[in-house]
Amino acid sequence: MVGSGEIIVNDIRKIFKKGKPDEVRAVDGIGFTINKGELFGLLGPNGAGKTTLIKCISTLLIPDSGSVTVGGYDIYREPLEVRRHIGVLTGGERSLYWKLTPVENLRYFAALYGVSRKVTKERITYLLELMGLVDKSNVRVEKLSSGMKQKLSLARVLIHDPPVLLVDEPTLGLDPYFARFIRDFVKNELNKKLKKTILLTTHYMDEADELCERIAFMNRGKIEALDTPDRLKQSMPQKQVLEIKCQGTIEKDMFETIDGAAGINISHGEGFVFLRWNTDNPELILGNIIELVREKAKIYSVRVTTPTLEDVFVHLTGASLKDA
Amino acid sequence: MSLRDNRKRMLKTFFHYLRAVNAENIKEWKIELTYKPDFIRQFIEPFVYLFPYFLYGFALLGGRYSEHLRSITGISDMVAYTFIGYLFIGFLNTACWAMGFSLRKEQWFGTLETIFVAPVPRWVYVAGMALHSTCHQGLIMLIQAVVIATFFAIVLQMSGIFMALSIVLLMLLGLYGLGIIVAGLTIALKQWWVVSEALSTLIVVVTPIAYPLAVLPLVLRKMSMFLPTTYGIIGVRHFLLGEELVIGLPTIILRLFLILIVWLTFGMIVFLVMDRYGRKKGSLSIY
Repeated sequence: MVGSGEIIVNDIRKIFKKGKPDEVRAVDGIGFTINKGELFGLLGPNGAGKTTLIKCISTLLIPDSGSVTVGGYDIYREPLEVRRHIGVLTGGERSLYWKLTPVENLRYFAALYGVSRKVTKERITYLLELMGLVDKSNVRVEKLSSGMKQKLSLARVLIHDPPVLLVDEPTLGLDPYFARFIRDFVKNELNKKLKKTILLTTHYMDEADELCERIAFMNRGKIEALDTPDRLKQSMPQKQVLEIKCQGTIEKDMFETIDGAAGINISHGEGFVFLRWNTDNPELILGNIIELVREKAKIYSVRVTTPTLEDVFVHLTGASLKDA
Repeated sequence: MSLRDNRKRMLKTFFHYLRAVNAENIKEWKIELTYKPDFIRQFIEPFVYLFPYFLYGFALLGGRYSEHLRSITGISDMVAYTFIGYLFIGFLNTACWAMGFSLRKEQWFGTLETIFVAPVPRWVYVAGMALHSTCHQGLIMLIQAVVIATFFAIVLQMSGIFMALSIVLLMLLGLYGLGIIVAGLTIALKQWWVVSEALSTLIVVVTPIAYPLAVLPLVLRKMSMFLPTTYGIIGVRHFLLGEELVIGLPTIILRLFLILIVWLTFGMIVFLVMDRYGRKKGSLSIY
């Protein structure tokens, strides 16, 4: 056993196209420790290096330098032990054989993981019941919805009952109903009830905030901050956020002339533009800002709130989770 | 850990890998059977491709039998002679396409990374595919053999069947080395099929499928001495049709052994190097 953490990542680096003009420093000197039974989140935009890091930990990629141990096993020297110790949910619904049924898929993966035939039978029954897929157990995967496929992918990951789970973007592309199911399942069933150690990557701020005990902000291959969601939010120098929801064309430089209104974050969603300022005195800038916004857009709501993880990310990196 | 524990653990690992190989085989059968028209096509197509060989032979010889063929091989029946050689193309396809194709197919499915995080060495998947395609090809060839032998009234020396199958087994193991090389290269090379195509074409030309070794130019004849298919065809024709051996039987068996050791070893080395290269470069998830 090396160290006391379940997953120990130490100064790991992975550079693609090394020395070429289009060199990519996907993982650039990252280190952290995940404790046994912890639900740890890696939050970052697309291209931040989250998936590359998961692939390094799961032995799919060989890092250029640094060390990783999972459950005390070294990824370089004991890759088979590492793989026995982990369940990896990556690749979404494509990680299954669509021409096979759920039972056939699970039976196949159980054989790969060396689960005995008797245990395989019990685990398949248990997992299909747990996922609510009993009535679909003999239907080909290609006929299941995306949400059902993701549920089955989770069942696949659990077939050998691994103590550590690496879960990469589990709710990506799912409708709200299945996304909610997966989140609840990860938090309540896997982490709280079954005491699994979970490394979860996501670029959904709410998901990380809701599920994770600790979060590492990842951007351009580096960890920008690592702490509990509350402490990360408390670390913001400004304790309040002024948010305006509007429709129209808003440019960042419109607000340059207003004292104390620098550092605006503009994001788009559901047909609206969201303008957010981190500030200690929203009332000081509110009047001038509303006047300027009104000239270019229709305002739907104005509110003062507390910082979110998105605000922390913007504060640390200068870019939003969606755009970075 | 005591010696006994160690042995127990090794045995457990061995049976785990064996089960994984079989699971791969079963999975392939199940997926294959969902594509029914293609499955049927694979059984019909070999007959269609065999026909031009016969027609060509008939046109050149003016009939089925040839004294000239008898003078250089000891067999006068062109149909029987060609048919036995043709069966070996199926084995070649097993190695170059089915085995080599196995990992690329997983990439297309999107399942390669999922299976590669399972606690079995990566060659297990290729071995599973080899088992599947050998069973598949064996079935096709058995049907072909029964149909062609019945239709053309080919008389096979049934007493030689055991030796013929032994030769085929040795040849197959050698060919698996080739399949593992191709499978390894597919991890690193996007244009994998170029390698596969080039290798299989070269081997088909150099292997005496529709002609005896004697008609090959010297360079190609020398080259064919490094291929397991050459000895496979010579041996099987000898035991099933009574072809005169141009190389002694002990030499054939010895060379087959040497070839299978060299090819399998070389295949495993290429596979492991390419697997490491793929994990270094991150080419696993690239189509």
